[in-house]
Parts: sequence; C-alpha cells; structure tokens
Amino acid sequence: MKVDLEFELNGHTVEASVDPWARLIDLIRGPLGLTGTKEGCGEGECGACTVIVDGRTVNSCLYPALEVTGKRVTTIEGLQSADGGLSPVQKAFVEGGGIQCGFCTPGMILSATALLERNPDPDDEEIREALVGNLCRCTGYVQIFEAIKTAAASMRQAGRETA
Amino acid sequence: MPKYEYHRPKTLDDALELVAAREGARCIAGGTELLVRFRKGTAEPPPALVSLRSVEELRRIDVSETIRIGAAVTVAEVAAHEEIRALLPALANAARSLGCVQIRNTATIGGNLANASPCADTAPPLLVYDASLVLRSRAATREVPFSEFTRGPGSTCLASDEILTEIKIKRPGSGLRSEYSRKGRVKMDLAIASLATAFRIEDQILSGVRVAAGAVGEVPLRLLRTEEILEGESLCAGLIGQAADQAAMEVRPISDIRSSAGYRRSLVRVFLSRHLRSCLAGAEREG
Repeated sequence: MKVDLEFELNGHTVEASVDPWARLIDLIRGPLGLTGTKEGCGEGECGACTVIVDGRTVNSCLYPALEVTGKRVTTIEGLQSADGGLSPVQKAFVEGGGIQCGFCTPGMILSATALLERNPDPDDEEIREALVGNLCRCTGYVQIFEAIKTAAASMRQAGRETA
Repeated sequence: MPKYEYHRPKTLDDALELVAAREGARCIAGGTELLVRFRKGTAEPPPALVSLRSVEELRRIDVSETIRIGAAVTVAEVAAHEEIRALLPALANAARSLGCVQIRNTATIGGNLANASPCADTAPPLLVYDASLVLRSRAATREVPFSEFTRGPGSTCLASDEILTEIKIKRPGSGLRSEYSRKGRVKMDLAIASLATAFRIEDQILSGVRVAAGAVGEVPLRLLRTEEILEGESLCAGLIGQAADQAAMEVRPISDIRSSAGYRRSLVRVFLSRHLRSCLAGAEREG
C-alpha cells in the first residue's frame, strides 16, 4: 500500500507515492527520473548516492523516502550558477581534471558544495575530512581536492566582487 | 528488497503505543546500521518499523545540572553542540570521529548505543562520564547506568517493548579533563581500538580517574585496575608506563579482519600514554 508524500526537490514542490520501504535513492532515480545520483554500494560506504537534505549531506541509499516529507532536497541536477550554467564547484571539477569516469562525481560535488556553504575557506585537512565518505576509484583524489580549493577561492573572489 | 510497514509517530506516547501494539515492531532512528543489515540479509526485517526521527521529545539537548541528550539527536548534532564540546569533549570528539559527514548527519547517539557494537564510538566517553540511560515502555520508565546497558555484541538490556529515550550525564565540575582517541584502518572505518579518559589533576596528583576502551572486548570496557593504579598518584613518566602496560593487559581484544589483538593492545597503550603525558608538568600548554 503506497504512501503519498510531498517535499521540495531542487527548488520545486514535488508529490510522490512510494512503498513504505522505498529508499530516497529509489524515489529520485525511479519515478522522479533524476539519474545523476548514483548507487555505488547501497550500504552507505561510498557516498556516490550523496544528496543534500535540509542543508546536510546524507547517503540516499540509506534514507527512507518517507522521511523526506516536508524537507528540502538537492540533487546534483539542482546545482547551477546564477546565470544557469555550471556551479563554481562543478566548473572547477571540469576544468581541474577532477573527473575521470564520473561515477563518484555527483556525490563529490554535493559534499564539496555543502562544505563550502558551511566553511568558505577550508584548509586541506578540512577538505579531506569533509570528503571522507566519498570514495573515488579513478583519480587518486588529488585533483578533486584541488578543484575544491579552486572553487572555494573563486567563490570567495566572487563574493568580494559583488560585495 | 526488504519490505515492511514504516510508521512515523510524532510523539513518544504514539511510538510506545506502536511498539507495544504491533507484533514484532522494531524501532529505528537513523537506520545506518539496520537498513544495511536488512539489505545484506544479516538481519531479518521486522514486519513494521517505528521511526523515532520525528519524535521531538527525543531530539532535544538540555544542559543544566544534568546534561540530557535525546536518543534521536544525530551524531552530527552531538559533535557540533557548543556546550557538549565544552563540558563533554570526549563525547563531542567521539561523535566527530564516527563514520563520515553523511553518516553523522543521519545516525543517532541512541542508535549507536542500542546497536551495541563493541566499537561504538560514543560508548567509551559515556562510560567515563558515568552516564545513565532512560528506558521507557508504555507501562514504565527506568534508568540504567550505561555500564549495565550493553550485554554483548549487538545485545543490550532493552526489552522488546522499550525505547531508549535519553542519555543523562551529571554536569562535570570544572577542572575535569577528558579525551577520546580512536584509530580505524581509514577514517571512515570502525575503530580497531579506542580510548576515553577522564580525570582531575592538581599539583600533578590524579583524582576521579576513569579509563574506558572500545573495540577491544565484547563490550566497551571500564579499565578498573588501570584506574586503581592512577588514582591518587603523582603523575610521572614511570606511572604512565605502568598504567599503559596495565591497560594493554586489561583489554580483551580479538584478531579479526580489521586488526590483530596485539596491535589493538599497542594502540590502547599509546592512547593512554598520550592522554596522560599531555598533563605532565612542563608539557602543559596555556590557553
């Protein structure tokens, strides 16, 4: 017996009807058709399924869909810059070679975005700490961390320019 | 795909009612342990899950003469709470070291305790702070010292119709020093050994000593003999060595996929040495 729910997804109100045991990742990738969020392990270990709920990153593979009722959810599809292009973090990943196969990338970018929202000037240790829950099998992480530093710097610079 | 009913009570009374009335119902909070087990098939999903995430009474932190932490407070909230960081630094640091950001934002302190893994990060600090737990059923409320809560790996004294509702700690007086150290193979991994200490030190004399270790026994362990060696004594290099040796002997680690028993004992020795050495006269840093 499905249960109805309503929540905010990437800035829009969305209604859905789910099985009680459905996971948030199932709802996002299935009926809502947003396949940017990836299932890497289904066990909360790899972070490929990371989404942002009410400002905090969570593993959507371990998040019951029903718990998202009334909350604000952001998936990778929800990120963009003021002019509708890639967000600063997305751009930095693309330009900095922080992407190889791309499977970990949505999770990495969301974790980085959430970090920079809390801490606009993280040091190397803080960046590593924030990404402990996001695994990458391709890059060796160096260019991912550097992309985050680049994005942080450009966001701080943009903040100064509009101030 | 494991299937079950999923209830979201808004009040503790409703949650207790569901747990009592629905045959086989099981409580869930963050679900970072249970949902993994159901999926992997290492635990049978119950016919109904009673989610505690929307029960406001379980999500409060209250700091007065007694510090009260609701069981459904997330590990991230414990790690970030200003007063917990100031008054119970070992607990705040343990919470900060658990898993990763995504897990901490979902997992709860009550879940960490009720899951009763021998490696539970929040357990050794709660032992050194002499915490007690409030367990409630529809019919009754009882308070249990945390030291008596964990019975074995995955086993606690919670009855099937009981819910762990809060963790209570008597506010420490000023001057209590407490610390938590842990090591996993990588940061995200379970602890292969962890240590919490709490003590007072004045003119190099130790008092109120508490030492507790995790991931080195079937349950988180208070190291009573180690505490006896330190209690009332004057801190010096020799005492530190003696206590560290005793701690390494007193724990009961196993060798498993993550680490050997010998290495785990070494870690306990190193952690205790570090906690004590930082207090040696001359090693103090002001401010």
